Amino acid sequence: MTVRSIRFRLTAWYAGILTAVIVALGALLFLHLKGYLEDTLLETQSRRARQISDTLVANVASTGEAYVAREVAALYDPERSDRFIRITGRDGRLVYVSGAPFSQAFDPAAVPAAQQPSPAEFTRKQPIAGGAALLIAAVRAGAGGTVYLVEVGTSAAPVETLFRHLLLLLGVGLPVVALLAASGGYLLIHRTLRPVDQIAGKAEQITQHNLSERLPVPATGDELESLSIALNRMITRLDDAFMNSKRFVADASHELRTPLTILRGELEGMVREEGVPAQQRERLGGLLEEVERLSMVVERLFALSRMDAGEAQSEWVRFDLAELATTTAGQMTLLAEDRRIAVTCDAPAPVMVDGDRSRLKQVVVNLLDNAIKYTPEGGAVRLRIFAAQGSAVLEVTDTGVGIPPEDLPRIFNRFFRVSQTRSQHPEGAGLGLAIVESICHANRGEIEVESAPNKGSCFRVRLPLAA
Amino acid sequence: MRILVVEDERKVAELVARGFRAERYAVDVAPDGQAGWAMVNTYPYDLIILDLSLPGIGGLELLRRIRRTDGRVPVLILTAKDATDSKVENFEAGADDYLTKPFAFAELQVRVKSLLRRGPVSQGGTLRVADLEIDRLTQQVRRGGRRVELTPKEYGLLEYLATQPGRVLSRTMIVEHVWDESFEGLTNIVDVYVRHLREKVDAPHPVKLIHTVRGVGYCLSEDSSP
Repeated sequence: MTVRSIRFRLTAWYAGILTAVIVALGALLFLHLKGYLEDTLLETQSRRARQISDTLVANVASTGEAYVAREVAALYDPERSDRFIRITGRDGRLVYVSGAPFSQAFDPAAVPAAQQPSPAEFTRKQPIAGGAALLIAAVRAGAGGTVYLVEVGTSAAPVETLFRHLLLLLGVGLPVVALLAASGGYLLIHRTLRPVDQIAGKAEQITQHNLSERLPVPATGDELESLSIALNRMITRLDDAFMNSKRFVADASHELRTPLTILRGELEGMVREEGVPAQQRERLGGLLEEVERLSMVVERLFALSRMDAGEAQSEWVRFDLAELATTTAGQMTLLAEDRRIAVTCDAPAPVMVDGDRSRLKQVVVNLLDNAIKYTPEGGAVRLRIFAAQGSAVLEVTDTGVGIPPEDLPRIFNRFFRVSQTRSQHPEGAGLGLAIVESICHANRGEIEVESAPNKGSCFRVRLPLAA
Repeated sequence: MRILVVEDERKVAELVARGFRAERYAVDVAPDGQAGWAMVNTYPYDLIILDLSLPGIGGLELLRRIRRTDGRVPVLILTAKDATDSKVENFEAGADDYLTKPFAFAELQVRVKSLLRRGPVSQGGTLRVADLEIDRLTQQVRRGGRRVELTPKEYGLLEYLATQPGRVLSRTMIVEHVWDESFEGLTNIVDVYVRHLREKVDAPHPVKLIHTVRGVGYCLSEDSSP
C-alpha cells in the first residue's frame, strides 16, 4: 500500500479527524466538567454555611457560643461526613472547628484562616499539602454585635479521582477507538475500492488486439458501476473505430487488386509487342516495376488486415525453430555474400515451438533481409536461436546503421520508416516490421528491439516453447 | 483448344482473352455466372478460367454446377480474395488451380499450359537450351560440354528458367517456385542469384542465354530479344 493510494489517504484522514474530534471533546469535557463539579460542591457548602449562620449563629446572643458548637457537631457530624466546619468569632477567636475526618484527607486544625477583610459570602480553594484541595465556602454573619465567620468545606478528592479516571479512560480509550476506526475504515474503503482494482487490472490487459473484451461491471448500482459502464462504452467506440479502419484497409486493398491486374496485364502486353522501340520498352519496364511495387504494398496490407481479422491461423504445427532459422539463413547467404556481410548462425540445440511455420519463416526472412540491407558492406549479421526461461528466443543482431532512439517506439507501426533509410532504400514500404510484429502476436509471441545508431540493432523474438 | 473466361471485370476479361487469342486459343468471354453457365452447357471447353466474385450466380456456385455435370474440364480460379479458408473451399469445390489478383499474365499462361497438358511435368530427362544441358536426374549442368558448378539454389533457378524456355518469368513466380512464399516481396534475392548465375553460365560464352526483361522478369532463351 503506497502512501498516495486512496486507501491510505482516506484511512489516514478518517482516523486523524476522529482523533482530533475525540481529543477536543475530551478537553472540553475535562475543563468544563471540572469547573461545574467544583461549583456544585461549593454551592452545597455555601448552602450549609448559610444554614448554620441563619439557624444557629443568628441566635448566638440567646443560646451562647457553646450551644452553637454542640449543635453543629451533633447536627452535621462533620467528621463522619468528611466535612470541614469552622466558626470563628471576632479577631480569629475559634468558636468551633470540626475534628479530623474519617478519610484523613485534611487536618481541620491546620487550615489557615481566611484573608481579611472579605465580603459577606465568598468561596475559596484551599490547597492542602500532600492531598486534594479543600473547597471552602464562607459566610459572614453578625449576631449580638459580633461578626462570626462560618466556613464549611469538603475535600476535592472525589472530583480529582473522577478526573484521574476520566483521563485514564481517554488516554487508553482514544488510541483504541482511533485504531478501531482506522481499521474499520480501511476495510470499508478496501471493499469499496476492490472493483477499481479489478477494473484497472482488466483495463491494463486490453490492447488494440483484444478490444472485443470488456471491463468487469460490479453490480453495485454505485458510481463505480457507472464508471465501468462508461469505460466499456468508450472501449466499444474504440473497437468500432479500429474495426472501421481495418475494414477500410481490407476493402481498399481488395478494390485495388482488379485495377492493378489490368494495369499490369496491359503493360506486359505492350512490352511484349513487336516493334516497340527499346527506349519505350525501358519506360514501360519502369512502369511495370512501379506496378509491381504497388502490388506488393497491396499484398502486404491485405496480409496485415487478414491477420488483424484473425484469419491468419492456417497451419499450426510443431517444429524446430533452430532448424527453420538455419535453413532460411542458408537460402539467403548469397544476398549477404553479395554485400560482403558475414552471416553467422548460432543454433546449438533444437528449439521446438508450436506455430505457423511458413509465417514464422517470413519473420526470419524479413528480419535477416532488414539486417543485411541496413548493414554496410563488410559488416556482420548474427542469428541466435536458444531457449531461455520457458521461451524460444530468436535474435538477429547486426552491425548496421541502427535506429535513432526517437524512432524506436514507432518502428513496428505501419508505413513507418526511419527518415534516413527512406532515401537510401526507396523500394520498401515500411510494412515489413509491422507484418513481423503481427505474425509474432498471432503466434502468441513478442518482439522487442534494441538499437544504437551507427553501432547496430538487435531484434529479439520470443515464442512460447512447445510443451 | 477452347477456353471460357468467366469474369465480370470487362477489362480483365479482355486482357486474358487477348493474351490467349495471341497464343492461338479460341477464347469465349462470359460477363456473369448466368451467361457462363449457359455457355458451359452449349460448348465443350478444354479449360475454364473463373472469377470468384460474380454477379448473379457466384463463381463458387458455378464451379459446383460444372463439377456436377462435367467432372473433367480443368477450372482455374481467379480471385481477389486469398484467405486460406476460401482457398481450401475452392479446392473442395473442385478447382484445379488458383491465382490471386493482381497476377502476371505470364504466370496465368504457365498455369493454363500445365493444366492443359494434364498432369505434372516430368521430373526426369535432360533440358536443352542452345548448348546448355541440364540433367535433371543428376542435377548436373554443362555448357558447350563443360561442367558448370552451381549451388542448389542456383541450380533450382536455372532449372526453372529452362523448363519454360523463351518465356519471361516474373520475379514473383521465380521466388514462389525456387524459394517459397516467405520470400515474396524480397524480389532482389532473384536479381542477386540471377547475377551469380550469369557469371557462371553466360560470362565465359559469347552467346548470352539469360535475358532481363525490365519490369517483367527473366527469360532463358537462345534468341537475344524475347
